[in-house]
Formats: sequence, structure tokens, C-alpha cells
Amino acid sequence: MTSENIIVGVSNLPNQRFKIVSEQGGTFTLMVCGESGLGKTTFINTLFQTTLKHADPHQRRNQPIKRTVEIDVLRAILEEKNFSLRVNVIDTPGFGDNVNNNKSWQTIVDFIDEQHDSYMRQEQQPHRDVKFDLRVHAVLYFIRPTGHGLKPLDIETMKRISTRANLIPVIAKSDTLTAKELQEFKLRIRQVVEAQDIRIFTPPLDESESPDPAVMEHARQLIESMPFAVVGSETKFDNGQGTLVPARKYPWGIVEVENDNHCDFRKLRSLLLRTNLLDLILSTEELHYEAYRKLRLEGSGATDDQSVPVRAPARKLSHNPQFKEEENALKKYFTDQVKAEEQRFRQWEQNIVNERIRLNGDLEDVQTKVKKLEEQVRSLQLKRH
Amino acid sequence: MYRRKKDHKRGITYSLMLVGDSGTGKTTFANNLLEMGIFPHQYEIDAPKLAENSRVKVVKPTMVLSYNSKNGIPSHMAQFDASREHFEPGVTITSTSMEISTGQEPLPSRSSVSSDSSSTTQNGGISTDKIAFSLVKTYGLGENIDNTLCFNEITAFLEQQFDQVLGEETRIKRNPRFEDTRVHVALYFIPPTGHGLREMDVEMMKRLSRYTNVLPIISRADSFTKEELAKYKKQIMDDIERFNVPVYKFEVDPEEDDMETVEENQALAMLQPFAVMCSDERNENGQFVRHYPWGEVKVDDDSFSDLRILKNVLFGSHFQEFKDTTQNFLYENYRAEKLSSVSDWDVDKVGDTAADKRNSAAPSLSNFASLITTGQFKSSNSLAMPPRSDTPTTPNSKDINQGFDIESPALRQESQSIRLGNEEIINNIKNSPRSSAPGSPDKSKLRNISETVPYVLKHERIIAKQQKLEELEAQSARELQKRIHDLEKRAADLKLRERLLRQQHLNGSNASMRSRSSSIAQAAPVQSTLKKEESVTDLASIVSGRA
Repeated sequence: MTSENIIVGVSNLPNQRFKIVSEQGGTFTLMVCGESGLGKTTFINTLFQTTLKHADPHQRRNQPIKRTVEIDVLRAILEEKNFSLRVNVIDTPGFGDNVNNNKSWQTIVDFIDEQHDSYMRQEQQPHRDVKFDLRVHAVLYFIRPTGHGLKPLDIETMKRISTRANLIPVIAKSDTLTAKELQEFKLRIRQVVEAQDIRIFTPPLDESESPDPAVMEHARQLIESMPFAVVGSETKFDNGQGTLVPARKYPWGIVEVENDNHCDFRKLRSLLLRTNLLDLILSTEELHYEAYRKLRLEGSGATDDQSVPVRAPARKLSHNPQFKEEENALKKYFTDQVKAEEQRFRQWEQNIVNERIRLNGDLEDVQTKVKKLEEQVRSLQLKRH
Repeated sequence: MYRRKKDHKRGITYSLMLVGDSGTGKTTFANNLLEMGIFPHQYEIDAPKLAENSRVKVVKPTMVLSYNSKNGIPSHMAQFDASREHFEPGVTITSTSMEISTGQEPLPSRSSVSSDSSSTTQNGGISTDKIAFSLVKTYGLGENIDNTLCFNEITAFLEQQFDQVLGEETRIKRNPRFEDTRVHVALYFIPPTGHGLREMDVEMMKRLSRYTNVLPIISRADSFTKEELAKYKKQIMDDIERFNVPVYKFEVDPEEDDMETVEENQALAMLQPFAVMCSDERNENGQFVRHYPWGEVKVDDDSFSDLRILKNVLFGSHFQEFKDTTQNFLYENYRAEKLSSVSDWDVDKVGDTAADKRNSAAPSLSNFASLITTGQFKSSNSLAMPPRSDTPTTPNSKDINQGFDIESPALRQESQSIRLGNEEIINNIKNSPRSSAPGSPDKSKLRNISETVPYVLKHERIIAKQQKLEELEAQSARELQKRIHDLEKRAADLKLRERLLRQQHLNGSNASMRSRSSSIAQAAPVQSTLKKEESVTDLASIVSGRA
């Protein structure tokens, strides 16, 4: 027997790995973020082809009109060909709904940081086999299809997210933009993203020595069509060839969700699930989590950069800077009022004092007059006598 | 009758305001409404090319009426600059005046060949052939992170228009060429969210409706399918009901109106809020369309777009109605409110500042004054006067004298003289013997109103304007300072780097025995001493370059 023929079994490792992975399943945490009414819920349902989340208009509409940003976590297990994927979908209702949206990104950013932080703490425990992991692997940021450009709120939020997680900008409801408008809009967004140093997730291009041209081509296509213009739909219509496809039916035509000529939904799905799911998870582990961990362990204070997490977010209700602002405003209002009232009282007091002085003067005058008169009377009386 | 004749000569004034989030299609709507490429889209210099519309003539080109922003720089016309995009654009209000000649139809709807008959029958109300139309547009709403600024600006603008008319009305000598700039209708563009109204929509519409007729409009309605649109319309109407938003409702009076009007209004009320989709591009048949890969939307098609109906309401059926409600209801209310507050001024001067307001309400000085008047009258006058008439004006005038460079001296002088005159008049009123009997003062009060109101209003307006300009000035100065600072820092950085490189280069060529690290270490202290000097000159050069 020559040594070449012996198979020790080392080459079987990938298969073992495959077995482990397929038994264990995977976890994927996806965050959707953007103003309300951009079709986030519909998109999630379209992406996973099931009604994960019910758009509940009643619950939504019974809330007060002034809202704070909330975090909604939804867990689901998806099975496909005996492989199960645990999916966590995180929604951020209320973002961008208010008149003053200053600091409304804070809740989102804090949430991402908190997940990193809790994971890190769990790692430091003596028993760490069971980990509760909700680190966000990808953030879909929905952009309103204005046809103009990005708003300052979008830019600020995206900047902050991009330093903490894989950011994928998405043009929502792109069926309201004509092809020309969409092209211009995409171009502007790309320019802004570049000029503002917003790091968006791009599929890795060349990692092996022998790049597969097909894969390369696919990745290139994906990068070219960033930011993805998507259309979501939960209902299916006949596409004209007798098959039912998810689509939106308008009086002027049918928009097919999975038609590359109509929108980039397929590309985005490919990026999120088919080809780059692992990349998303790994880059979260290696890049964003490591960056956070390093910063935390190296000790804070060394950086004065606003965009990186300096300290662990304190789990306090009063942490929300929006509340802080409100509180300050109220305090200011209160002190102003008190001051004004005090001023008024002082004025009043002053007036009273003045009045008293005047009256006293009058009194003295009168008294002197009386004295004079008495004097006169006395002198007259003296004269008479 | 007289009024109509006058209107006829000068043309009916009519002004329409477009309010709504940026990117909801206001510009496109305006272009589509006039069937002319007048307004360029955001970031574009040229307006979209469209055939000239012979019925519309631009009298005054677009001008900025008012703007405000956090950094003091107006940016609605700014070119696209990716590195500046994170600055908040603030808010800008512009107005464009034009003349529209109306022949048989209110507006030529060339595009809708099929249904012209209905539109011609409905515009019997207009007998003139000219409308002095002004289109007020707002920019930047909803684009800022904090949008409260926009609200105040827009409300202040609307109030100012009312004030101008009120000032003119109460004046003894009237200006024959006075232009009425009150806004008759405001179209509020609701973004197509599908979830009802947002806080911003409710707030904005509530504020607008104090000064004008508000028509809520679902913009970009082509993002809804038929069922979704019906649902969304219902949700919006529910929300309007729930939050008590006083939008314009097509109400009918079955006693007075004829059958046709009743029916029409009821139909319109059912349709509200109008869902429009707009386009300023025509296809080869001259119809306005939106081109999608999956089809072509004819925006004038009544089966899914209310655009044509809306146009008809604006220029046909409810044209006079909008004008009347603005004049007879909204303006009258405002006038009554304002004048009743003005006539209180002989007790309480400019009722604007919060402190003064409280004075009149709380058991305070006025009571005290009356207490004293029973004793002796003269002293109460001297007691009550000084704190009030001085406090609101003195800090202002000081500010103006100190830090005002942009404002023309003429304006300042005018304001000064007006203020003096104003104070004099007010003093006169105050010093004039106040009769305590309740019956007699009405006459003199009336005269006082007509004497003071125009001046007081003008005075208030000027003060407000000055304050705003000051603020803007300060903000833009701050912004410039910041930018200069940034530039300076960058320049210093570059200098430092250049110096380092040169040093390295020199060291490398001259003395190779010295190690690189030591050279850098040596170079560092020298640079830090030099750096300060240089940065100062840099700053100077930058400033001069800017100037």
C-alpha cells in the first residue's frame, strides 16, 4: 500500500462541519430601520415568504401621536430542506415620526451596542456554553423615495449605525419612481454615502486565489445596484404567463417583486440570504463585535470620537437624551416663570414702598401745615387777649 | 358690485400655498397645474422643458419671502453637494406671481380630451378673464431633524399676510395699490405612508387652518393599489376626526344651495382627501404620464387620480368659496381677536410678551393701579409706566445699534421713527384722561384703534423681522466661524505633514547616519512652535480669500 492511497479522513472535515452546521442550524438577526410607512413589515414578510409579522393597523393607530422610538423583537424559525434558521427580526417603530427627531437614532444605536455588550459579558462568565446572542447581523435602512436625496436624519442615523453593524441602505417603495428618477436618486445617495464616510456593507470581492468568475460577476452586480430599490407585496398575482408571483396590482400594470427589471428585490435577497448570509454573520463577529470589544477592554476616554461607543450604555430610563432635553426645557420654563413672578413681586413691593414714602411725605406736609395753622391760631388767640 | 368691478380691472387675486414634506411632489404638482415648466426640481437648475402655456404669464419671478435655518444659510436652491448633505436645510418660503387668463375654461385641460364638458359647465362663477395668481411654495419641511422651526416660520408668514391687510384696513389713508397677499388655499401634501397621519401632519394642518383653507392631499398616490388607497383615505379621515384637524370640508346647506351644488359638494366630501399623482412629462399624445417599466400612468385619469377634480375645485367650482371663507371667516376671526387685544392696550401695551399677557390676567399691577387711582391718579401713571414701555424696546434698540450690519440704514431709520411715533401715540392714549364711565369711551377707542393699529402692527412686524435677521446673522456667523476653524485645522495639518515629508526627504539625502525616528522626534518641537504663527496667517488668508 502506498501512502498516497491511504485516506486518513482529514479531507472529511468539511463534511463533518456541514453536518454540525445543518444539525445546529444558524442564527440570523436582521434589523429594519426607517420612517414609518415605508413598507418595512411588508418587506420582511415578502423576504421570508410568510406572514412573520402582522401589520396591525388597530394597534398602531391606538398609540398616542407623539411617539418615542421602540424596539420590537420578533423571533421565528425558518425551515428549508430540513435546515432550520433561527431568524430574529428587529423592528424600530416610531423612528422619524415626530416633529423633532433629534437623537431619535439613539435608541437604535444603544440597542446594537447593548447586544454587543451583553454578548461580551456572557463570554466572560465561567459557564459560557449557552449564549443569548442578539447581535445584529444586518441593518436594512429604508430610505423614503423622495427622488431628491438623503435627509440629514438619514445621514446622521446611517453614520452611527455603520460603525456598529453591517448597514444596507434600501430605497423603499421604489414603484413610485420612474426609471430615470430612480437612477438619479441612486446616484445621489451613492455620492452622499461616499462623501459622508458612511460604510455600507459590500459583498467581499476577492478572497480566494482563484476567484470564480460567476461569483465575482454576481458580487459586482450587487455592488453596482446599491442602494437596492425594493418593492414588497404579500399578495400574489398572475404574471401573465400563468404563474402566481408576489406582485402589486395597479390599474396601469403589475409590478412584480421578483422581476429584476422592476426592482432589486432579488438582488437584495441574494445578498441577505443566498450568497452572503455567512459574510454578514462573520463580519459582525470579526469586525463590529471585535471593534466594540477592543474599545471596551482598552478602556474608554482615549477617544473623543463621537461615532464610536465610549462606554457601556447605562440601562436607565433617564438615559434617553430626548427625555433629558424635555426635562431641561421644562426646568428652564419653570425657572423663567419663577423669575418673572419674582420680578413682578419685586416691582410691586417697590411701588408700595414708593407709595408709602410719598404718603409719609404727604402726611408730614399735612402735619407741618396743621402745626403752622395751630401756630397761627395760637398767635391770633394771643393777639386777641 | 363695486368690488367686482375693481377686481375686474386689476384681476382677481388668488393665492395658493403648497405645503408638505420634501419629495412629495409639490414642484411637479405646480408645473403640472400650470402646464408649464416653471419650477426646477430640487438640485436642478433648469425647470423641466414643457411647451409654453399661453394662458399663463409670469409677472414676478420666484422670490424668497422668508427663510430660516439653524446655520443661517438658506439652502433651497443649493446645488447638490454630497459633503454638505448632512446640514439641515431649514425652511424657505417663496412666492411666484403670475397672470392667468381664463377664457371658457378655468385651466386648459388639453390632456383630457374626453371629459371637457364637465369642467366647462362648472366655472360659471368667474366672469373675469384675468387671475392674479400667486403660488407660494415651501421648501425644506420635514427635511430637518428638528422641524419645529419650519412650523413657526410658516405660521409667522401667514400671520404676517393677515397683519398687512389689517394694517391697511385700519389705516386712515389707504394705499390704492395695496396687494392682498393672503393665502386662500393651502394644499397639504401627506406622504403616502399608508398608516394614517403623523404628528407632523396633524400639527402642521392645525396651524395652517387658522389662517387659510387647508385641503389635505395624498401625494404620490401611485404607490397605492386601489384597495390600499381606499383604506388609507379612510384612515386619514378618521385621524382628522380623531385629532380635530379643522381642514376644509365640503359642507352643504340644504336650505340655501341648489341641488346641483349639494350633490357636487357631497361627492367631493366623499372623495376627500384627494389622491393625486403628478407628472411634468408628456407622452407623444400630449398627455401627462409617468413611465414605469410595468406600465404608463396617465395622471389625468379620473378612475385612479383625483388630480383633475382637484384642479377643478381650485380654479372652478370652489374658487370664490375659498376666497370668501378666507375673507369672511378666517380673516374676520383673526381681526376680531387682534383688535380686541389691541384695544386692551391702553391698559397693557404690546400684548406680545408672555409677561405682559400675565399682567393683564393675574391679580396684579392693573389691580394695584386701580387701587391707587382711588387715592390719587397722577402717581399711578408714573408708577405703572416705566417698567412696561421700556423693557420690550430698549434691549432691542441696543442690539440693533451694536450688531447690525446687513440691514440697510434706511430700514433702521424707518423702524426708529415708527417706534418713536408709536410710543408717542401710545403715551397719548395713556395720558389722555380716561373716563371711568363704561358708556362713553367707545368712540375715542375706535379712533385710537384706527390711529394705532397700523403703526403697532408695523412696529411689531419690524421688531420681529429685526430679531429674526439678527438671529440669522448670528447663526451664519457662527457657522462661518466653524467652517473657518475647520479649514484652518485642515491647513495646519497639511502643513505639518508637508514639513514632515520634506524633513524626511532632507534627512534621507543629507545625513543618512541619523536614524529616521530621531529626526522626526527632533523635528516635532520645532514644528509645534512654528505652527501657531502659521495658523494665524492661514486664517487671515482664508478670510481674505472668502471675502
